[in-house]
Amino acid sequence: MSRRYDAIVVGGGHNGLVAAAYLARAGKTVLVLERRDVLGGAAVSEEVFPGFTFSVCSYVVSLLKSDIIRDLQLSRHGLELLPLESTFTPLPNDDYLIRWADHDKTRQELYRHSPRDAEQYDRFGQLMNQIGMAVKPILEMVPPDPSRLSFAALRELVKLGRHFKSLGQEKFAALAKLMTMSAADLLDEWFEFEPLKATISASGIIGTFMGPRSPGSAYVMLHHYMGDIDGVFRAWGFQRGGTGEVSMSIARSALELGADIKTEAPVSKLMVQNGKAIGVALENGDEFYSKVVISGLDPKLTFLKLVDEKELPQDFVTSIRNFRIRGSSGKVNLALDALPNFTAIPGYGPHLRGAISISPSYDYLETAYDDAKYGNFSRQPFIDMILPSVLDPAMAPPGKHVMSCFVQYAPYDLNGGWNDAQREAFGDAVVDAIAQFAPNIKDIILHRQVLTPWDLENTFGLTEGNIFHGELSLQQLFFLRPAASWADYRTPIRGYYQCGSGTHPGGGISGATGQMAATEILKEWR
Amino acid sequence: MRYDSIIIGAGHNGLVAAVRLAKAGQRVLVLEKRHSVGGIAITEELIPRFHFNTCVDYIRWLHPRLLKELKLEDDRFKVQWTDPSVVTPLPDGNCLRLSADASTTAESIRQFSKADAENWSGFIDRIAQLVAFLEPLYSMTPPPVPDLGLEHLISMRGLLKPLRKYGRKTLVELLRVLPMTMPELLDEWFESEPLRGTLAASAIHGLCQGPMAVGTAYLFLHNHVGCRNGALRPAGFVQGGMGNFSNALAAAAEHLGVDIRTNAIVRKILTDENQAGGVLLGSGEEFKAHRIISNAGPSVTLLDLVGRENLEPRFTRQVKAIKYRGAMARIHLALNDLPRFRVFTDEADLRGVISISPKLEYLEQAYDAAKYGRCSYHPYLEIVIPSLTDSTLAPDGKHTMSITLQYAPYQLRQGEWNKGTKEALLQSALSTVSEYAPGFGDLIEDTVVLSPLDLEEQFGLTEGNINHGEMMLDQFFFMRPVAGWAQYRTPIENLYLCGSGTHPGGGITGAPGWNASREILRDLKN
Repeated sequence: MSRRYDAIVVGGGHNGLVAAAYLARAGKTVLVLERRDVLGGAAVSEEVFPGFTFSVCSYVVSLLKSDIIRDLQLSRHGLELLPLESTFTPLPNDDYLIRWADHDKTRQELYRHSPRDAEQYDRFGQLMNQIGMAVKPILEMVPPDPSRLSFAALRELVKLGRHFKSLGQEKFAALAKLMTMSAADLLDEWFEFEPLKATISASGIIGTFMGPRSPGSAYVMLHHYMGDIDGVFRAWGFQRGGTGEVSMSIARSALELGADIKTEAPVSKLMVQNGKAIGVALENGDEFYSKVVISGLDPKLTFLKLVDEKELPQDFVTSIRNFRIRGSSGKVNLALDALPNFTAIPGYGPHLRGAISISPSYDYLETAYDDAKYGNFSRQPFIDMILPSVLDPAMAPPGKHVMSCFVQYAPYDLNGGWNDAQREAFGDAVVDAIAQFAPNIKDIILHRQVLTPWDLENTFGLTEGNIFHGELSLQQLFFLRPAASWADYRTPIRGYYQCGSGTHPGGGISGATGQMAATEILKEWR
Repeated sequence: MRYDSIIIGAGHNGLVAAVRLAKAGQRVLVLEKRHSVGGIAITEELIPRFHFNTCVDYIRWLHPRLLKELKLEDDRFKVQWTDPSVVTPLPDGNCLRLSADASTTAESIRQFSKADAENWSGFIDRIAQLVAFLEPLYSMTPPPVPDLGLEHLISMRGLLKPLRKYGRKTLVELLRVLPMTMPELLDEWFESEPLRGTLAASAIHGLCQGPMAVGTAYLFLHNHVGCRNGALRPAGFVQGGMGNFSNALAAAAEHLGVDIRTNAIVRKILTDENQAGGVLLGSGEEFKAHRIISNAGPSVTLLDLVGRENLEPRFTRQVKAIKYRGAMARIHLALNDLPRFRVFTDEADLRGVISISPKLEYLEQAYDAAKYGRCSYHPYLEIVIPSLTDSTLAPDGKHTMSITLQYAPYQLRQGEWNKGTKEALLQSALSTVSEYAPGFGDLIEDTVVLSPLDLEEQFGLTEGNINHGEMMLDQFFFMRPVAGWAQYRTPIENLYLCGSGTHPGGGITGAPGWNASREILRDLKN
C-alpha cells in the first residue's frame, strides 16, 4: 500500500503537468501518472531516428500563457522559444508570398502582390488583435452554467453580459459574426491576393474537419491568433530541443515543487466509492489513493474508458458519446540529408527559418478538404512545415536536418481503414506535394516517419487522432465543452476533475485548461 | 396626395405591413414594380394555359396572428397540407415517405433501419421542443445586443412559455444544436442514408452551402418552426396557387383603404438631412410620405435606392458585406400527362414534395460543384406537381411540374447565365428525374428555366437569393440584416425594412412584415 496523495493526475501531457505543478505549488502532494516512457503527451520530443530529434506531434508554440511561464518559472527550467521569422508560401507559378516578423518587410512584400492588401494588412491585424483582446477574458473565465439558476451562475452570466457590453456595438458585432462565419468570407472582406487569403485562412482549418469556406473556420483562425496578442506578428516560436522541452520544463518545475511523476504507469481505471473518486488502479494492478483525481485525457477516455458508465448519469454519458472528436490531420517527420531547395527561392535563406505553408489558394485547400469529406486522405494536402534543425542545430547530426510537416486532411475514418499501405501512400502524397515546390526533396530524405490519425490515437491516446481533444466547433466551446453543466472542470463524480484540452478554452500548447482546473480544485479545498 | 406610409414592394411582407398600418388608421400606398402583387409569392401563367408558382411552391409556417387578425381564413385562402409531405425515391426502387403521422413515417423508415424507426418519435419531439423556442423568437424584434436594458429583457418574455414547459436544459440544447452541421445533428439519431439525406435537404434550401456546413442545423430548425404535429418537411399548398395568398392579403389591404399600384418602379428613396420623405418612380412621378417602408432586400434598399452617398461609410461596408450567394434555380414544366415514377405505388406520392435526396453525401457533392462556381451535374431536386391537387392550374388531363434545383450558383466561374447555360441546367435536371421516372422526357410540352440571374432581374432578389440574404448564423437574429440595425429601422430616419432580409428571415411567413409594422407603430406612438 503506497502513500495517499492529495491529488493524482492521470496523463503527463502538458496540461496535466501544469495542473500538477500548480497544486504542488499550493503545498499539495501530487502524483502524475504517465502511460508512456516520455512525458509531454502530444507535446513531446523524441529521437525517432538515431541523431534526429523530432517534436513528434505538436511542433510550434505560441499560445503558452505568460502567467504560467512566470508562476512556474519555466524559463529557469529550460523554456526557450526561438522565434519563427516568417511564413513562406511557395506558389505554383514559381513566385512566392512571404510574411516576415519584420513589419516593414512584410508590407514591402505585400506591396509587390497587391498595394491594396498591403494597406489593409495592418488594419486587419488590429481588428484581430482587438477581437483577441475581447475574447481573452472569456477564455480565462470558468464557463458559467446557464441551465442552473444558482446565485453564483447568475453572477457569472451577468459578468459575461457586462463584458460584452463593455466591447461596444461594433466590436461585439465583429466578434459575433466571427464566431460563425467562414475564414474565407472574413478574409474576402479584407484582401484580394488569393495566396495571402489562403495562407491566413489555413490557420482556420488546422485541426478541424472544415475547409476555409466552411462557416466556423473564422473562429478557429481567431483561436490561433490568440498567440499574437502580446506581440505583433503571429508570434509562433520553436522550443529549443523540440516541443517536448516545453513539457519537460513544466515537469522540472513540478518536481522541484515536490510533485511525484511516474512514467510507464498506465492507468486502467478510476476507483470510485459511494459516488466519490478515491484513487486509480494501474494496468499492472497497482493502486494509488488520493483525495482527488484529475484526468488530463480527452473526454472520451476520461469518461468512457477510465470510468464505469454506471457511475455517471445517463444523459451525461450520451453527451460525451456525442462529443465530436474526429481527427483530420496527420504528421510526417522527415530526416533530411540536406536542406530542401525551393524553386521559388532557391538555396539557403531566411525563408527556411520560419513556417513554410503549402496553401497556394482557397481551391487548393477546399479540394484537399473534399477528399476528406468522402473518407479519403488529400491527394494534394495542405502542409505546414518547419525545419527545426535550422533554428536549433542540435536536433540533427551536423549538416543534416529534420523537417516537421503537419498535414491535412487525413480523416480518421478512412475508407477501408488505415493500414501500412495506406500510411505509406499518404506519406508519398505529402512528399509529392512538397516536391512540386521543392523538387529535390525526394533525393534528400534519409528517413520518414508518417503518423496517421490512427497512429496518433494509438501512440498518444488522442481519441480519433484529434489534436484538440475534441473539435473546436461552436457547440463544443465554452459552457458546452465538453458537456453542458460540466464545463467547470468538475465531473458528475465527486473528487474527479478534468484538465485536458477537451475542456474550456480548448486545445493548443497553452496550459490554460491545466491551470484553470488547478485553480478550481484549490478553490474547493479552501 | 400625401400618404402616411409608402411601402416599396408588394411582396407578402410588404402587404402584411400595409394591412397592419392601415388598420392603425394610416394612409398607405404600396408600390410594386411588377405587373402583379405578391413578390415571390405569386402564381403566373408562364406557359399558355399552365399556371405556376414562379418562385415558391408552398408555405410551412405563417405568423400565428396573421390568419386571425387579417381574417384571411375564408373562401379566399385555403391551404392543403399533403400527406405524405415528402417522398424520396431511391435508385434501387424503394422510397421513403415522411407523413404527418409519426408511426406511419416510422414504418416507412423501418425498411432502411430498425433503429432509426425507433428513434423517429424521439427526434420529432426534440425538434418540436427546440422550435418551440424559435417561434416566440421569430415573433419578436431582436434586441440591440449587447446594450441590453431591462425593457429588452422584458420584450423577450415570449421565451418564458417554452422555458417553463421544457426547461432551461432544452434552451441550452438549442444553443448546442443551432451551430451544428446536419451530419453532426443526424449522427446523434439516425444511420440510414435516405432519411439523413431527406432531412438534410431542408437544411440547405436556398443556401450556397452543403449540409456539412456549420449552421445548417439552424436552417433545418428554421424550416420547421411551427410544425408541431410531427410532420417534418411540411408542405402547405395554397389553393389556386401561391399567388392567392398574396391576392388575399392585397384584398384585405385594399378593403382597409390601402392604395396599391403595380408597374410602379421605385428608382430612388428621397432623403433630406438623413430623413426619408418620399420616393421617385422610374416614370418621374414623385410620392411624398412621412415614412418609407421597404420590402426590397437590404442591399437594394440601402445601396441602390438610398444610395451610398447618403450613408455612413461604416454602415455601407456592413451592408456590402451581407452575403447573398443565390444558388437555386427554378424549372417549370408543362406536362401532357402525369409522370410515372418507378417506385411510387400511390398517386398520393405525387401530391406532396418529391425529394431527390438519396443520401446526405449526394447533397454535399451537389454543393461541391457550386463551391468552384459550377452547376451540379447531379443536382438536388425538389419536385412538385401542383396541378394534381388543384386542377385549375393546367388544362384538362395535363399537368404542371415545378422543380427547385440546387446548386446553380449565381456567380459562374466559366461563362455566364444565358440560354446555353440554362439549357445545360435543364438537361441535368431532366436526366436526373428520368433516372427515377423513365420516359418522363416524352411528356414535356414546354419548359421555363429561371436562373439565379433571372430571379435577380425579375424579382429584385440580390444575387438571386430567395431569402434576401443567406440564412446562416452570422446573419441571424440581431445580426440580420446587419448588427446594430436589426430592429427594422435604418440609419435613415423614417426608413424601415420589412422584407426577408430582416429577422426572422426567409420563407412565406409574414413575420418580418408583422414585426416591422409593430416597430413602426411603436415609433408612431412616441
